[in-house]
Amino acid sequence: MSEDFRSCETEDADFDRRPPACPAPEIMAPSQAYDWQPAAHKTQRLRNSHKTGRGGAQVSMPSDDDLVAAVAEGDERACRSLMDRHLTRIVALARRMLGNHADAEEVAQEVFLRVWTHADRWQPGRAQFSTWLHRVAINLCLDRLRRQGMTDIDSIPEPASEEPGPYEQLAQRDLARSVEAALQRLPARQRAAITLAHFQGLTNIEAAEILEVTVEAVESLLGRARRQLRVLLATEKAEWLRMTSD
Amino acid sequence: MNETGMTKERVAALIDAYGASPERWPEAERPQALALLAQSASARELLHEARSLDLLLNMAPVDLPSAALEDRIMAARPGSVAQPALARPTRRETRPPLFARLWNDYRSAAFPTGMLAASIVLGMGFGSAVNTTSFFDTSPLTSTAPITMASNEAAGDQLLALALSESSYTEEMIR
Repeated sequence: MSEDFRSCETEDADFDRRPPACPAPEIMAPSQAYDWQPAAHKTQRLRNSHKTGRGGAQVSMPSDDDLVAAVAEGDERACRSLMDRHLTRIVALARRMLGNHADAEEVAQEVFLRVWTHADRWQPGRAQFSTWLHRVAINLCLDRLRRQGMTDIDSIPEPASEEPGPYEQLAQRDLARSVEAALQRLPARQRAAITLAHFQGLTNIEAAEILEVTVEAVESLLGRARRQLRVLLATEKAEWLRMTSD
Repeated sequence: MNETGMTKERVAALIDAYGASPERWPEAERPQALALLAQSASARELLHEARSLDLLLNMAPVDLPSAALEDRIMAARPGSVAQPALARPTRRETRPPLFARLWNDYRSAAFPTGMLAASIVLGMGFGSAVNTTSFFDTSPLTSTAPITMASNEAAGDQLLALALSESSYTEEMIR
């Protein structure tokens, strides 16, 4: 299958690339994504809401393109707004990919460093900023996983620790850790697909654009990921069903 | 197959890939899939099972960004007066001089990109150490930042490119 994930170099070219053949997707409603729980005072829908045209009062919110342009001019408030708008989501994405908060924060820092570095070259309308941001984050995570020894990103890594016994009582905290550990056992590309589709709540089209593969490839990765997770979490699922049915 | 062309197999494939929430299914297929679901008890059973996995996955932990991270990111803006503390301590016990570390280690599989990023934002004077050809953009920098910072920014781009080229180097190695 030609599901090559390119290295981080590609997303820089995206600043100047032509518009995609299909319309750039808009990010799904945040409420539909589990990891994306926007704080009401901080984050807003990622749309060009500064454009009026619909009836009724409109709260004027700058678009991502507006903010990036302001960032390029050194506008500190724009930097803060852009960070407030996207950082939580990027940290969550990296957490799903890398399995721990510290690494997730490191990747998130690198992502935003690239935003600051490239803001003056961002061309509005050629690509969706959030798509680019996701792609940078995913590729940084994939590169990090390769450097950590996942040289074959299709292989299933060895478990880092012992599996809990089948009859072990699982507290909710342990369940969370088990789920996280199971995700870490997925091949990197499957992990990326389920991170974008399930945890970030993106559509198959958005995920395909971020991963630079076909929609069919995304679907295949997702199916494999979920089947693998079902196997890995069989014990946990049984426990969870018992816990939730009490 | 019903009159829309949707099949039980396709509904099963949708649930298999996207889980139990129809809003996550491909938009073009959603109405037909829902219609078939209403008619098929076996499809609804698949949905029920998929929902358990969905809810279990949602237990994966996630933490909010720390204030320290936000501070480091804000401090990393070009032109920012405040210099950030380095990202969290690396696992390396010894830290060779910064310049040597960058030029000797960038092709190392263990090269920490985070350290590189932190090094760049410290504003070290790398301008004279690298050529001025940009990997990404040949147009002049339009930044209004002072010359020193602009050259650091260009140098930063080069170093980022070098660090990133390490990843394609690694990919070629494993093919």
